[in-house]
Amino acid sequence: MSKGVVLVVDDEAQIRDILSFYLKRSGYQVLIAENGARAMAEMAKAQPDLILSDLRMPEMSGDELCRRVKGDPATRDTYFVLVSAMDGSASKIGGLNLGADDMIAKPFHAQEVLAKVESAFRIIAMQKEIKRQNQELTRFRERVTAELALAASLQMGLLPTVPGSLPGFRYTHRYLPAEGIGGDIYTILPLPEGGLALMLADVSGHGVTAALISAMVKTSFESQVRLGGGPLDWAQGMNRYLALNTLAEQFATAFLARLDPVQSEMRYVVAGHEAPFRLPGGARGGLHRPEPLTGQGFMLGIDEGLPFSERTAPMQRGDRLILYTDGLVEVEREDRRLLGAEGLIKVCAELPADADAAADRIIEAARDFNEPAPFTDDVTLVLLDQVD
Amino acid sequence: MLNIQTRQEGNASVVTIQGKVNFEVTAQLRDVIRDTVTTHQPKLLVINLEGVSFIDSSGLGLLVAARNSVDKNNGKLHLCCLPAQVKKTFDQTNLTNYFSIFASEQDALRGA
Repeated sequence: MSKGVVLVVDDEAQIRDILSFYLKRSGYQVLIAENGARAMAEMAKAQPDLILSDLRMPEMSGDELCRRVKGDPATRDTYFVLVSAMDGSASKIGGLNLGADDMIAKPFHAQEVLAKVESAFRIIAMQKEIKRQNQELTRFRERVTAELALAASLQMGLLPTVPGSLPGFRYTHRYLPAEGIGGDIYTILPLPEGGLALMLADVSGHGVTAALISAMVKTSFESQVRLGGGPLDWAQGMNRYLALNTLAEQFATAFLARLDPVQSEMRYVVAGHEAPFRLPGGARGGLHRPEPLTGQGFMLGIDEGLPFSERTAPMQRGDRLILYTDGLVEVEREDRRLLGAEGLIKVCAELPADADAAADRIIEAARDFNEPAPFTDDVTLVLLDQVD
Repeated sequence: MLNIQTRQEGNASVVTIQGKVNFEVTAQLRDVIRDTVTTHQPKLLVINLEGVSFIDSSGLGLLVAARNSVDKNNGKLHLCCLPAQVKKTFDQTNLTNYFSIFASEQDALRGA
């Protein structure tokens, strides 16, 4: 196998012969042409790795050939060496400005040309290697992107279908992961004795790791709910599970609630999460005063032994719950102001009766406030109405 | 941009952080804290948050992990000088009760 293909372009037969002889002896395959036009014709048949071209030739000169080779995307990676009778640095710079990769001054020693060719092929080999690695990287990126897209759609599948309903309730959500895939998760489960169990969680960090843990959060919530009990038992169980099964820096803020439409009340635990709002009569639309459901609990998964506390709030027909993750209100604008819970309360004070229209209104208002800064963290918004 | 400085005060290491502590910079901060803990094995690690304008959940996670690693060496972690915005995040996540938090670096070093 040859070490590579060299196209020698010169109008003097003697020079073509000398170069051809030395190059072949060194293991190169040699193509020859007597001017630029012939060289173009030769290149249409076989693609050389390197062109050694004289500058002054009839029909098409070396500089014109160089311009054409370097101007065509199909051939511009071909290494081009101009062989010029004109000595002096001015013409050397001129040749390199044309896009030639190197220059050789005439008269030359065949050994000098060979040395240049050898060094050119080392560069060519490197360029080929870089190209190959680039292609590999591109393929890798495409594969990762495709896998992320698949994971993202899987994660979407973990969320409830909306708009959704359970006896006595209607709900909807907006879910905007920061990186296609995210660490926010929420679940609504019907309870066998009536009512429902509800959880919204925000796992620390972003991306794939957070997404994996969000699936663990959902699963552990579901198994806790199956065991019975209330939000306090669930929070303790999930906390133990997450503390033991995730790394030190991984935990989740969460809001857990159990809604009982017969008793018209809700028991809940706030585990380091943004306090959701309860809007008495909010499902009917109009003006309301959002009541934050505050609580003092640690995030889930920090430490097995940390305490949680359960609270109770009324939840009646026509009431609306609004839950969100901090990505909605913690976008830092240029003036460093955040929408914050206070800003969101104002937005939620007057919303349409239709939960989907209300959800859109909230997202829009948060976006408008943040403008031009986009959401940077995962954003989840959940609206739950207890129907009349 | 995150600016981190460390210094020794007797048996104590002091890490001063300035800037926004979020997902993009946690790796950098994690390395500094790990290096400080392994190199000096301080009896007391003080993290001064005075210049922190914002901290997100990854930043909080890092501080929790820092406390765990200091605990393992039978040391203590003291946080000090929390700006209002950061204090709010700590209150909301109840971490105010998880960490020993001091008003000034002097207090944090004295442990008073």
